[in-house]
Amino acid sequence: MSAPVYSLKNVVKQRIIENAGFRLCVPSLEIQAGENIALVGHSGCGKSTLLDMLALILCPDATDQFEISPVDARSDNIDILWQQKNQDRLAQVRRQHIGYVLQSGGLLPYLTVRENIELPRKLLNLADDDSISSISRVLGIHRQLDKLPGLLSAGEKQRAAFARALSHRPSILLADEPTAALDPITARKIMAVVMELIKGLKITLITASHDWAHVYKMELRILDQEAGPIEQGRIYQSTFRD
Amino acid sequence: MSQVGNILRLSFRDYTHEWRMSGCFVLALAAVLAPMMILFGLKFGIVSSMIYELVENPINREIRPIGSGRYDQQWIDRYGSRDDVEFIIPKTRTLAASIQLKSDQSKRILSTELMATAERDPLLANLANIPQNLFEVILSRGAARKLNLSRGDQVDASLARQFKGKRERVHLNLEVIDIADALLANRSVAFVHLDLLLATEYFKDGRSVPELGWSGDAVDGESRSYPSFRLYARSIYDVDKLVKSLEEQGVRVKANAAEIATVQSIERNLSIIFWIVACVGATGFAFSLGASLWGNVDRKKRDLSILRLLGFSSRRIVLFPVMQSLYTATLGWLLAVLVYLSFEQIINRFLAPRLNIDQTLCYLISDHFFWAFGLTMVTAIFAAIIGGIRAAEIEPSDGLRDI
Repeated sequence: MSAPVYSLKNVVKQRIIENAGFRLCVPSLEIQAGENIALVGHSGCGKSTLLDMLALILCPDATDQFEISPVDARSDNIDILWQQKNQDRLAQVRRQHIGYVLQSGGLLPYLTVRENIELPRKLLNLADDDSISSISRVLGIHRQLDKLPGLLSAGEKQRAAFARALSHRPSILLADEPTAALDPITARKIMAVVMELIKGLKITLITASHDWAHVYKMELRILDQEAGPIEQGRIYQSTFRD
Repeated sequence: MSQVGNILRLSFRDYTHEWRMSGCFVLALAAVLAPMMILFGLKFGIVSSMIYELVENPINREIRPIGSGRYDQQWIDRYGSRDDVEFIIPKTRTLAASIQLKSDQSKRILSTELMATAERDPLLANLANIPQNLFEVILSRGAARKLNLSRGDQVDASLARQFKGKRERVHLNLEVIDIADALLANRSVAFVHLDLLLATEYFKDGRSVPELGWSGDAVDGESRSYPSFRLYARSIYDVDKLVKSLEEQGVRVKANAAEIATVQSIERNLSIIFWIVACVGATGFAFSLGASLWGNVDRKKRDLSILRLLGFSSRRIVLFPVMQSLYTATLGWLLAVLVYLSFEQIINRFLAPRLNIDQTLCYLISDHFFWAFGLTMVTAIFAAIIGGIRAAEIEPSDGLRDI
């Protein structure tokens, strides 16, 4: 059996923003290749913080283990990379193996939809092929490719954001409440298409959501984030339970 | 395309996409740079050219002997070989150094002062031709105007003497090979070869000049000495040293020491004032640019974080604000140059005539524009690096969520 895509042990991150904050602890977490995971929990419990750590854009305060082993690629001890401040390697892992969809889409406003989608491929010097057209056709945005993101609807922006996150065929797709800003029907349509896509591409999906019905319907493995009862001053503790 | 190539492309796309904001940055920069250029243009146009004229004017570098002396050719040559001497040539007695000129173009007979000249004469610095023989002359503009002569014309030179109780006059046909510039515009001066100056003195002293067929007593073989000389220091800064050297040899001289001191003082003080203003302006410019960049990086925190999330390394991200800063610097400089050139035209065409000033009030040479560009770029890069470091320090996670 191949190594888990993510192996985390005792990962701790404390965040304080304007006198309020929380402490996130992940005692143990392993995510296998091809798994589809939903992080659920109330707002502010640390879902995005965990996603950011998994996306290697947020350094944990303490870890016993933090390894990433993308399919068909070398493993990296992320803990050591952070300690060494090896930003280049962290950026390289992100570039090659991770796609990330933000709640707001996160498209660059000065590039057309097509250029936004092409950008991860250009960063990897991947040859131009028909993958951009096919992925945008599947996601239903092929008519919007030459528009700037400012001219798209919220649903179209999210479809474009998924297209960008998947354009370079990453082995990991992270999504931070990607459909929270959409109406339920559009949200389900988009997620259904995305689930079909990632199933075909054997991509590991980790998405944050607080929509239980939605999560159950998509048959995602659930990581429930339970707000801890212990209030330490103004810091709240959250723990993960598999 | 490499990461660097991608960053350059993205920074340009963002810059043009936000053209209104970029335009404001460019305007802000030009608003600081253009007045500095106008200030420098005025300083250079009025003050520098005035000072340059004073410093370069050979009259200010002339050291004049007081009274008559006896200076032989060896003495003249020794001073001529000094590094701090630009030019020295003997003078004959003042009374003997005059000649009457008459041209066909004018009925007037003009009594003209004769001055010996040679190559590198500062009074004739801009002229290509210098008298090479007894029959060539350069006239001061005043003399040429009075005699209605121009370059290439012939002029009749004559001089008279009382010799053995008889009045004699000799004539000599001279070619006007050039007209001297405005330095001696109001004086009637004829610049001639030293031999002609000596010949006129010989003639007036009753001696013969066989080369010109002028009869008289034979010139004895004793070595020749001169009563005076015309001497110019290499720069106004050499005058003082030369004066001291001559006085140590017992030669009493007069120089424009007070004027030189005034000129040096004006030059020094105005330069200090200009540099104070320029430094304050440059500091303001650096802060203005730095503040714009800082604000710009803060404003773009989210977009820069997205680029980091997509896999750009933090080192490459630094280039994003740096490049935008260079675009702003280049366009700001171009706009400032255009503003400056417009003001230069307005000042020189409309203001100078009203002030009755007969010189260019405001101008810059091409080197100044390149210096301004270099200064702008250096300041922009310095400020941009600060902005870039700030961009690299932004945690993508914070930037994405506007923390």
